Formats: sequence, C-alpha cells, structure tokens
Amino acid sequence: MLFKVVLIALLLFPATSLLSAGQLSAKLVKGNVVSATGNEPLIGATVTVEGTMVMTVTDYDGNFSIDANEGQSITVSYVGFHSKTVTVKGNNLQITLDEDVNSLDEVVAIGYGVVKKKLVTGANLQIKGDDIAKMNTSNPLQAMQGQTPGMTIISTSGQPGADLKVNIRGMGTMGTSSPLYIIDGIRGDISTLNSADIESIDVLKDAASTAIYGSAGANGVVLVTTKSGRNGKAQVTFDGYRGWQNVERKSKMLNAEEYQVIMDEAAINSGSAVNDWASYGNLYDQQGKVVNTDWIDQMFKNNAMTESYNVGVNGGNKDGNYSLSLGYFNQEGIVGGKDVSNYERYNGRLNSNWTLYNGILHVGEQIAFSYKKNKGISVGNAYNNTLRGAFNTSPLAPVYDADGNYNSTKSGDWYAYDGNPYGVMMVTSNNQTNNANLSANLYAELEPIHALKLKTVLGYTYSSSDYRSFSPIYHFSDYSQRTSNVVNQNKNDGYSLTWTNTISYDWKMGQNALSAMAGMEAYKYSGSYVGAGNGLLRPGFDSWYYAYVDNGTAQTKETGLTGNGSPNEPSRMISYFGRLSWNYKETYMATANFRYDGNDNFAPGHKWGFFPSVSAGWIMSNESWMQPIKDFMDFFKLRVSWGQNGNADITKYGYTAPIKFTNSYYNFGTTLGADGNVYGAYSDALANPDLTWETSEQFDAGFDARFFDGRLNVNMDYYIKTTKDWLVQAPLPKTSGVSYQLINGGDVRNSGLELGFNWNDKIGKDFGYNAGFNFAYNKNEVTRIANSDGIIHGTDGAGQLYDNSTEFYRSSVGQPIGYFWGYKTAGIFQNKQEIDDWKAAENGILQANVQPGDVKYIDVDHDNVIDDNDKVNLGNGMPDWTLGFSLGCNYKNFDFSMTANASLGNQIVQSYRNQSNAKANYTTEILGRWTGEGTSNHMPRITQSNINWLFSDLYIHDGDFLRISNITLGYDFSKLLACQYVSEARLYLQVQNAFTFTKYNGMDPEIGYGVNSWASGIDLGYYPRPRTVLIGVNLKF
Amino acid sequence: MKTNKIFIVALGLAVTAGLASCSDNMLNTASKTQTTTANYYRNTTDAYYALNGVYDGWQGTVSKGPTFSFYTASEMMADECLGGTGYTDARNSQVVDRFSTKQDVSQNDLYESLWTYYYNAIYRANELIIRTDQIDWEGNTALQGQYIGEARAIRGILYFDLTRMFGNVPLITTPTKDLVPATPADSIYAQIIADLTYAAENIPAKAYPKSSAAQNDGRITPYAAKAMLARIYLFYTGYYGKEPVGLTKAQALQYCEDVINSGEYQLVKSFKNLWPAASTAWTEDANGTWTKESTYAGAGNSETILSMKFNYDSDWNGNNNGNRSIVFIGVRGGIFKAPYGQGWGACTVNTKLVQAYPSGDKRREASIIDIANEGIETMKAYQDQGIKDQREYTGYFIKKYSPQSKYVKQSDGSWKLTHDIDGLNANGDFQTNQYQDYVLMRYADVLLMAAELGSPNAQKYFNEVHQRAYQESDGTLSSDYVEMSATPENIQKERRLEFAFEGIRYWDLLRQGVTTAANTIAESSTQVLSGGNKETYEVSAQDIINKKGLCQIPLTEIQLSNYKLQQNPGW
Repeated sequence: MLFKVVLIALLLFPATSLLSAGQLSAKLVKGNVVSATGNEPLIGATVTVEGTMVMTVTDYDGNFSIDANEGQSITVSYVGFHSKTVTVKGNNLQITLDEDVNSLDEVVAIGYGVVKKKLVTGANLQIKGDDIAKMNTSNPLQAMQGQTPGMTIISTSGQPGADLKVNIRGMGTMGTSSPLYIIDGIRGDISTLNSADIESIDVLKDAASTAIYGSAGANGVVLVTTKSGRNGKAQVTFDGYRGWQNVERKSKMLNAEEYQVIMDEAAINSGSAVNDWASYGNLYDQQGKVVNTDWIDQMFKNNAMTESYNVGVNGGNKDGNYSLSLGYFNQEGIVGGKDVSNYERYNGRLNSNWTLYNGILHVGEQIAFSYKKNKGISVGNAYNNTLRGAFNTSPLAPVYDADGNYNSTKSGDWYAYDGNPYGVMMVTSNNQTNNANLSANLYAELEPIHALKLKTVLGYTYSSSDYRSFSPIYHFSDYSQRTSNVVNQNKNDGYSLTWTNTISYDWKMGQNALSAMAGMEAYKYSGSYVGAGNGLLRPGFDSWYYAYVDNGTAQTKETGLTGNGSPNEPSRMISYFGRLSWNYKETYMATANFRYDGNDNFAPGHKWGFFPSVSAGWIMSNESWMQPIKDFMDFFKLRVSWGQNGNADITKYGYTAPIKFTNSYYNFGTTLGADGNVYGAYSDALANPDLTWETSEQFDAGFDARFFDGRLNVNMDYYIKTTKDWLVQAPLPKTSGVSYQLINGGDVRNSGLELGFNWNDKIGKDFGYNAGFNFAYNKNEVTRIANSDGIIHGTDGAGQLYDNSTEFYRSSVGQPIGYFWGYKTAGIFQNKQEIDDWKAAENGILQANVQPGDVKYIDVDHDNVIDDNDKVNLGNGMPDWTLGFSLGCNYKNFDFSMTANASLGNQIVQSYRNQSNAKANYTTEILGRWTGEGTSNHMPRITQSNINWLFSDLYIHDGDFLRISNITLGYDFSKLLACQYVSEARLYLQVQNAFTFTKYNGMDPEIGYGVNSWASGIDLGYYPRPRTVLIGVNLKF
Repeated sequence: MKTNKIFIVALGLAVTAGLASCSDNMLNTASKTQTTTANYYRNTTDAYYALNGVYDGWQGTVSKGPTFSFYTASEMMADECLGGTGYTDARNSQVVDRFSTKQDVSQNDLYESLWTYYYNAIYRANELIIRTDQIDWEGNTALQGQYIGEARAIRGILYFDLTRMFGNVPLITTPTKDLVPATPADSIYAQIIADLTYAAENIPAKAYPKSSAAQNDGRITPYAAKAMLARIYLFYTGYYGKEPVGLTKAQALQYCEDVINSGEYQLVKSFKNLWPAASTAWTEDANGTWTKESTYAGAGNSETILSMKFNYDSDWNGNNNGNRSIVFIGVRGGIFKAPYGQGWGACTVNTKLVQAYPSGDKRREASIIDIANEGIETMKAYQDQGIKDQREYTGYFIKKYSPQSKYVKQSDGSWKLTHDIDGLNANGDFQTNQYQDYVLMRYADVLLMAAELGSPNAQKYFNEVHQRAYQESDGTLSSDYVEMSATPENIQKERRLEFAFEGIRYWDLLRQGVTTAANTIAESSTQVLSGGNKETYEVSAQDIINKKGLCQIPLTEIQLSNYKLQQNPGW
C-alpha cells in the first residue's frame, strides 16, 4: 500500500525532471540505488543535485542518470529510508540507503484511508508485517505480544490453533470485548491469515481513530494490510522452517510412595486407621512392585513437530503489480501428540493492482483462501478438560493392563473410580474440524481530477466448517465410560457481503491543507448449519476411520440418531461516515470523524446510532522557539482526542422474548423414551424493546517525540475510556420466572498509561542495532450495574474448582470485571491456644470441629461468623502492567534478535485437585503441609474433607511473569554464494518461548482461560505453551 | 474549482439517497426459527403446546436437578431421614436436616435452584393463563376449561409446595420482573384454592379416564384437583389453626368421597407392587444366567391419582426429563446388588422409622433397603467405597424410590451388573436419566384423608389401607394383623407407615403444631457412621421451633429483591 501510494504520487509527476534547467557544464552521471537490507533496487527514489533544481527519479531497476559535475553533492531520498548525500565521483555511483524504521513521512492506515505518520492525531501504532512473519507464530496476533502497548494479548490455551484473548485498553464490556479486525478494508478473521502475507498491522486504540467504525469500534480496531506487489522485476521468495516442541516444565505430582503417606495421614487425621496397603491386590505389578504412574509425564509428548513453508512471487511495472503466495503450516500438540491435538493450515493469496487510463483509474483485488484442519483435546471447564484427569488420578493406577490395553480401574480395589486419563484422551479425542475461508475484495478507484478520489470496494467472504467426531465404547471406571458408540457430523457455512463507497478530496487554502472524506457502507451476513448423528455403528465400522453417519444403524434418538439444521441468523448493517482533516503548515492539525450506523440487532426505533469524534495535534518542534534544541529533539507532537464508539455485538433478536420449543418434553401415559414425549412451548426471557448500543467514550492525550536525529523514538498516551450501558443478561429476581433479560445494564471505566521507547542506530558500516521497550498500565473498574445487588454473579464458575464448589468470581460496582471473590486467610492454627484466642477475640471459625493445622479464615466484618459477607476481592486475572522488550543487532551477514514480554499484577486461581474426592492425587506442594506446631503456616493439615479448601487466597497465586518469547540468530549466505539470482539466503536458528521467569508453580503462567469470556487467569489444568526450537531458511531470488 | 465541489456534493448525495431509500427495509430482519411471546398464543394448538410447556416447567422442579427437591427436603426435615450424602461433601444436607446453619454457615442459598425452578414453572403457567382471552378457543369452552384448569392446578400445586416450605412468598399471577414483597400466606392459600377449585370444576371428568392411563397418565384430572384440595385443607387448618377462605371441611370431605365414588381408582393388591425396586428380584440359575422377575404394577396403576412423570432421555444439552432426586438418595459407592442402582447416599433412613413398623407389616420391607439384612454390608467393596465414603450411615436406605440396576450379558458370556438406564439413552447417564415417576397422590391417601375428615365410612376406609399392609403373598391376612380403630392418632400412625418417603410425613407432623413436630423430630444421641467413624446425630427441637418449621429463603433472592423479601425468622 505504502509503496503504491508513493509510487503513484511520483509517477504522476515525471515531468518534474524535465523542468530542471540543465547546466551546460554538467556531464551525465549514472547510478544505482539499493536498500541496505535485502539489497533490493529502490524504484522512484528522488535524486537531486545539491544547491540546484536538478532532479530525477530512479527507474524500475533502481538506476538513474543525472547531470552533475564531479565533486558536486547529490542527495538521494526515498520514503521510509534515511536520505543520503554523496559526492559525485566517477560515472557509476552505487548508493545504499538505510531503512528509517521510524520515518515520519511514511503513511499509516487509518479507517478508510491513509495518513502521514507525522500528521496522525489519534493513538495508533503500526507493526510491520516482516516483524510479524519473522516470529514464526501460527497466529499473527501471537507475534504482536509485547510489541503493542495497550493491547493485551493472552493465550487461552497452548493447544495448536487455540484462540487468543485480545483486549485493547482493558475490558470494556462483559460481552464481546475483542477488537474489530479489518483485513484490507473488510471485516475478517485474522486467524485465517498467513503472517507472510501481511504488509503491516495498524492498531487503532483511541476513540478518535475508531469512531469511523462506529457501532463496531468500541473495543478498538485492528487494521491489517496485506502485501501488494512491488514494482520491478519479479522476485521469488521461499521461507521455511521446521521445529521441535517440548513442554517447558511439568507439574510435579505425588509419586506412589508419597501418595500412600499422604493418604495414610488423611486417614489418621480423620480418626480412621491407616490403610492396609497389602490388602489392595491390584496395586502391584507383575514383579510385585507398587504401581507408580506419573500421569502428567504420560500425557505429554516429546519433540512434537511444527513446520511451515511459504512461496511468494511478486513484481510489477507501471501498469500494475502483483503478489501471490502459497503457504503451509503444521503444528502438532505437545499433549497427546498429533493423533489427538494438531493444527494444519493451507493458505493462498493473490493481490494485484492495475493502473488504467494514465492513472485516472485504478482497479485491483485481494483474493485469499485458507483451509484449516484442526483436532484437539478438550481444554474447557473442569468437566471438559482432558488434562485435568492427570492431576487427579492416583499414581497407583497403571496406564496399561497386563494385556497391554488401556487399564480400567472398574474393579480396582483401592479406588474403582480412578479411571485412566491417558486412555480417555486417546480414545475420546477423535474429532476433526475443517475450516475453509475465502475472501475476495475487488476495488476501483477513479481520480477524475487531481486529489478527488471516488472509490468503491466490494468485499465477499465465505467460510465453511465441517466437523466430525466419534465416541467409542469404553469403560475405564463407572464414572468414565460409554456404553454405546456415536458419530456426529455437522457443517456450517456463512457468507458476508460488504460494499463500501467513499469520496475523498484534498485541497489547499493558503497554508491550510484540508482533506475530506465521505462514505457509506452496507453489510450483510447469512448462513446455515446442518448436523446429524448416529450410533450403533456397524461392526467393523466402529472406528474413527469409518466414523460417518451412514455407518450408524441407530433408529432412535436414545441410541444416537439425531439431525438438526438451522439458519445462522442474518445480520445487516448500513452506515454513513465522514471525516474532515485540517492542518496548517503541517504544524497544527485537527480531525473530526463521524459515523451513523443502522443495525438490525435492535428493535425499530433503536436501530440507528451516531458516533462522533474530534482530535487535534500540535507539532511543537516546528515552532521557532523549539529550534535551539532541535539537535537533541528533532520532533515533538502533542495529541489530544475525544470520541464515542458503540458495541452492538449481542444475541440476535435479543430485544424479543422468543418462544422456545426445545428441551421441553413431557411424557404423558406410560410409553417411555422419545416415543412417549410430547413437546411444549415456553419462553424464558422477558422482551426489552428499548435495548440499544453499548457506548464507549474515550479521552486520550499523548505525545510522539524523536530524539538524536530519529535514533530514539518515544510515544506516550494517557486515556480514560468509559463504557456505558453494557449489554448484559441482567439477573432478575427469580420470582420473575425467567432466567434473564437483556438490558443496557452497567458502566465500566478503563484508564491507563502507555509508553514506548525505540532506539535504532548503526555503529560503523557493519554493525546496526536496535532496542525497544514499552509498557502499559490499565485500571479497570465497574462503576454501575443496573440491578438491585449491583453484582453480576459468576455462577458458571460454580463446581469448577472441585465438585460442588461455589461461585468464586464475579463483577460488582467498585471492583474490576471478573475479580476473584473468596475468603482471606491468616495462616494456620498452630495449637489449641491459638484457636482459643481466636474464639475469645470473637472471630468466626468456619470449621465445625476446628483443629490445630486448620486454616484461619478471616472474619472480615468481625461478626463472629464466617459467611459470604467475609468474602472479598482476592485479585483478578487481567494484568495491571504489561511490558515488552526487544533487542536486535546485525553485523555483516549475521543477525540476532530477541523479544520478551512481561505481565505484572495479575493473579491466577489454581485448582488442579478435586477437593471433593479424598483419593485424588496432590501436587508435591502438599509435602509442605502442617504436621505439627511450627511446620507450616501456609499449607493446612491433610483432611479427607475439603473444609480447609473452600475458595480462599490459598488458591490465589501471583501470575507475574517475564517471558523471553523469541531468540533468533541468523546468517545470510547470499554474499558468499555470490550468485546474481540469489539476493538472500539466510539460515537461522530460533527458540520460541525460550525462558519464562515467574514464581507461578503451574506449567504456564500465561492463562487467558476463565471459564467464561469475562474472567481469566483460572488454571484448572492448563494446556501449556510449548518451547520450540526451530531451524529456518529465507531465500530470495 | 467551484464546479468540482458541486460535482462532489451531487455525487455524494446521489449515492447516499439511493442507498438510504432501501436501508430501513434492509434492517428489518426477522428470525426464521423463533416466534415470540408477542405473536404466540393464537389458537388451541398454541394453547396445547403452551400447556405441555407448563407441565415441563413443573417437572423441571425435579428434573433440572435442584440441590434439594421439595421431596428430598421433606424427607430430611421429617423424622424419616438424615441428611446423609458423601463424607467429604458440603454439609448443606445437614443444614436442611437439622434446621441449623451451625452445620455450615456458608449455606445460605440452600434452595436457590428450587426457588428458581418453581417460579420458572409458575411463569409458564401465568403466561398461558393470562392469555386465555387472547386465544381463539373456537367456542370449545370445555377444552378451555380443561387446558386452563390443568395450568391453574399446576400453579396451585407449585404455590402449595412453596408456601408450605417458606411460609409467605411473593404471589405472582401476572409475569413481572419487578421486585415483589412476600404475600401473606392466607392470600396465597386463597389463590391456591381458587386455582384447584377451578380445575376441579372445569376439567371434564371424562377428559383423562383411568382406562386410558397408557396415554394420559400424568394429566391433572378433576379428581387429582379434589384430592389436592383435601390435602390443602388439612394442612392449612392444622398449621394455621383456622379455616381457609373458599374451602370448608365438608367440601374437603365431599371431594374425597367424589374420588372414592368415581370408581376410577382402587388400591393395588400388594403394597410392594407400587414400587419398582421392591417388586423386582434378580435370580441366578445354575448356568450363571441372571433372570429378572418383576411384579411392579407399573406407572399409571389403579392407585395413582396424580404423578409427576419422568423419562430416560435426558442429555447434558438442557433436555431434562429425569428424576434427579432419585440419584441423590440412592445407595452411595457403586452398584452392589440388583436391583439397586448407584446414588449419592442422601436421606439415610432413620432407625426410629425402621423400628416403628410392627412385625408382619409388609410395608417395612417394601419401603426400606436393609443393608445388613440384604447381604450388602459384608461386601468389601461396599465397606471401602460405600461406608467409608458415606456420611451419617445408618444401615438403611430408601427403597420406594431408588435408582435401579440390572444384569446384562457381556459379549464374552459373563454377566455384568450395570445401571438400569444403561443402553436406554445414547449417553446412558445414571445421574440424569432416572425415570421412576413421583407419585404425588395415591388412592390410599384419599381413603385416609376421608377417614380423618370424618367420613361415615372412616373405619372401612382405614381398614382397607391397614389390611393391605398385612397381606401375605397368597392373598391371606397375616397372623400379625390387628384391627385398629380409625382414631386421629391411629390415622397419623398409619399415614407415617403407609406414606414413608413420599414427601408427606413432614407436613403431617407440622400440621399437628410446630412444637409437636419439633419434639417428634428431635434427636439427641443417635449413633451413626460418617466416613466409617462413629458420630452422634443430634437435632434440636428448639432449632425447628425457632423457624416455625419453615425453610430458609435463598439469600441471593433476598439481595436481588433489595431486602424487600425478608428471611424467615430463625434463619
């Protein structure tokens, strides 16, 4: 995009070179301009002879010829590169330009347009596609971790292909809080993109930048621009790597011996006799030794493979350019291996741009296709989490029985319900999801007169997914079994159409430069879903390979016959928007945006919303009084902005009370099974025709500064973002009889600070280095919830920590969204005296029959009773501070880089053990338990009941971490090869997720999982991110 | 320059206007699969499905798996059962059983799920009832009386359960999201009686004849409504010590006599045949083949006046049709002996009740699982997985309502003991798919109520019930049988033994006065086993008296009502 715009601008004025009055004495000097990195010819670079009007531009091979005298200075400048002045010497000048990574003349993407970086008045930031691609992550967002202050990116699971939890400037809602993704101007799914195809990603953070996206922009906007062709001769690139993944560290569970000691101690503490281990016959293997299974170890696979290959071709000339690519990516899971956890993706893309009628008309397209194949283990809540079983099963249960089959404990005499978590993973993870995505954008831009542009873009996306799963018969314990097999298949597809029309015009009035844009956009989506299932698979066809519905013989619902189909409810939007920008001498600038949106999610009369914004900037460094320090600080811009956005992402037809016919069966008479049922009709919601948008209002102030001739860049922003009228399913009094009503029910305030530093310099000719550091602070506070108790309960968290556990996170006024809610503790009762003192002080005691070694729950309201009134905010899963570092250097043909990100101030709730099961295994942490006075003031004595494990700060861990996310060392052999067709031949070694510094004792401190979408940091047995060592190659021909 | 600007503006306006004209139409989409409350309830078909939805809502008070159903709570609160459950479980059952949050002070939402499901069912009934006039009945007033009568009867029963448990509760007859303070019980009873009287008078007597029980069992008949009214009369007059509005003693008696004289109902000959587990036996022959023998009278038998129906097709995707209370009260630890299935060990049976049955009374064996006598206690697996994991083990569990097991031949020829529901459903989940119906009103109850209300046939009715309990398998009367006169004391004694574990005893006690009830229920030195260890089981009469025998109102609901709703005294 960048190159295209610049090129067009320059090509429009080839005549300028003719205007130069040739000096008679001058001779014709030839030269060639190339970039320092990649050694690529720079096309359209401006070459001027110092002190004269003589000027030219380079051609498609980077060549130029100009009239100049020996000894004269000529300056070569090119957008995105540091200008260079050389003295004319000889007749063949070789000029190499260094890239200016922080060039202020570069353009950056804003909504429906581009603007020069120095004139930006909003808070946005740009990441280069090359910087993303070189991180070799499966999802481009992952590569942005730590590089984008104000944008929190957290893994929700380490499983290949897992989603990331992304928030820009804090959680603004309890509904959908992820940003809007716009790919080449059209809404899209960023997980379908191949990082190698990305030119740049622009993150719009403040409301002045996002207001142009109106009702969809409240959570920030991420603009992705894909690669266009570069003018010049065709270039072929090949990038590939292969890597080996391993778990960074594993949780330590009790081994058989330790487990037996702890179980005996539990029995003693509960007044029972110790276990007579010899009487449990099946705890011993054939050699008579006690079985000792390390279930955690069993679940993981060593050296899981990951690989990626990309081929790209691009080129162009003055009539047009093209870029096409093919990519393949595969990642095996470290839990269970590729048979049960795997992600595979194929990508293809063709982008081209054509110039017609001497530049009056431009047309082009971006067509991309992706195909994803996914299989995975369950990584959901406590009852849908494959890994969790490994934490709870006793080490005394073997993996395989004497016949080599997965062991069943159904007749085990120590604990018949232990089951076999490894067996469960291997037999129940038969599933495959395939996603196909097509996106096609066509555009035409007409420029009938200079600076008047009429542009129309038609965007079409089609996505389809098909899913197949097979559940076989198995019986590992009475709690872990299936008595009949079943296969399920379903298919889902949807398409969207977006039509955008814009008119823009730029003009000047004296020193005032103005730019106006107006446009409209229409969007529609629809699709459908169909699914079927069957059971009783034909003998011989009851395996994953043959698991298709046609092989089932079930004739009734009870035996697995199902079939359903539904529309994906259509969605429609119509929008009008506009922008007016002004600047005076590129020193004072202001922009106003608006958008007027109509959305069919709301009832008539509430469909339309208006979203305005204003922003202003002042480049103080242009003022004369700043000139004295210009050597030190060459650029300083102050920015301030205000605006409003909306969020309309709610359940379709949420304003109505639908009548439901599902799950409402009653069986009159004496026929049982589905045949005996009649269905009923009912409603379980109250209508709310007044339902309307969430509105987010944001104030932002910041500055951008450059020091030491652009070597140091500093950006800072402060913001206050208030989201009003949350769309929430408000709890109603149960007497209403319905579960909820969708209302505009709450307000939340996010405020914070972002600061970024970038240093970029060169020492001598061969050594370049750069360093970056950024941090962001965010404070999240709920300021209103529109029901009587001011609480939105995390009821879906009940039963998650252990069977029958109660609510442990919630949102309430004055607290952050999704904070952990439980008892505070004050250590362990060491002796009888402490208990008596505690009672004498009229502090409540929760344990019915309290003993030394039990937990001291704090009686916060000091009413001599421990109850819900004593539960307080124990922290939350979102970080207060996020930090990022990067270091890079290159020397001759070597390059080295390192990136790191850190998260501070977030808490993690860790619950691996089902405390309701006295025989569940423990982590080795329990070895530090209280066993007598002075032995521990943290870990209570062991009991068979869970009275010391009600939700309290004992579950809370600090989640702070610093992760060295990427280390890369590369060497470019192209110069050694000295082959004119090879411009790059780089070999590199990379370590991803290299080291994690944290006090957290789980397998991974980066836990975006939170049972539901508005909580996070809940570790119920989390699929950790792997450490990957990979070898890669980049070739350019 | 000027013309250019005009050109831009003109073009912009043209595009805008062209699209704006179709835009509002484009935004008016409608669901293709949903109707809404605004456009439903048009005709008798809609009414029929809405009525089914009401029944489903009522069933949900058990099938959605509230922590305590009305029936399990009634058993715990009475002198029939202890709290029980697993040794490491929360002590919420103990709070219910002993009327004391000292058992676990954090238990202040014991009945939140029950409360939610009751009001959800009431909402469904209200939605249908208030739209009676909106529905085009096509002149069929009998059908209108039938459908609306059924809906009102269910609403009446729901409020009767609620007010018995909680005393004053919000009485809502028109759907509202507003916070409604509690209504005095007298007004609630007036509504309950009005609803059931409407049902008794408007549901045609022939609407659901017993002869078609195979199709209509579970429907509310006028007889069911009448029998309920008698139960309501007896409870209200007993607990509140006064006559209710809209119902006299004579009417209550007449309602019972109507049921008796209808000829629709008769006692099932052998008491045990009323209950699946009691009437089923598994035997193994010399070849190791297991055979089931069952004399179960079946759902919808001649004695059933009203039952709540269940099915075995529940799933984990929101389809709840099973009797979730049954798994709660089943024998804990696994399956040990057919026909008993696995449960969570709640409601262990109080030894006092076991001892109350005189010898020769067949109801004891039909009602109670005797762990020692039936050879389960000596099994090592039961000792390890059952007793050691059981709280408040007494050696007895409920048999009338019990999860069931069966023997299934395996592919290798061996026989395996599995849950009865295995194979009935694709998921075969014993937790959700128990399908034994709750019998809410038996003919025996109507006979004893008629006797209590002073029927001239009181002794005849009483004898009918009492004699059956002593009937030998050959139909003769046991030598242990002794005729008893139908005095109020004897009727109460008989009710205790006849209706054990049917959710009746606690309310029978309470209607004799809170103090009498409390003193009867109180325990001081009963020995039980918890986790295999000896424990003393105590219930303080004062704890019951302080609370007037009422249950704890959910704290969450009180908070959501902004304290317009008040907690019952003593809680």
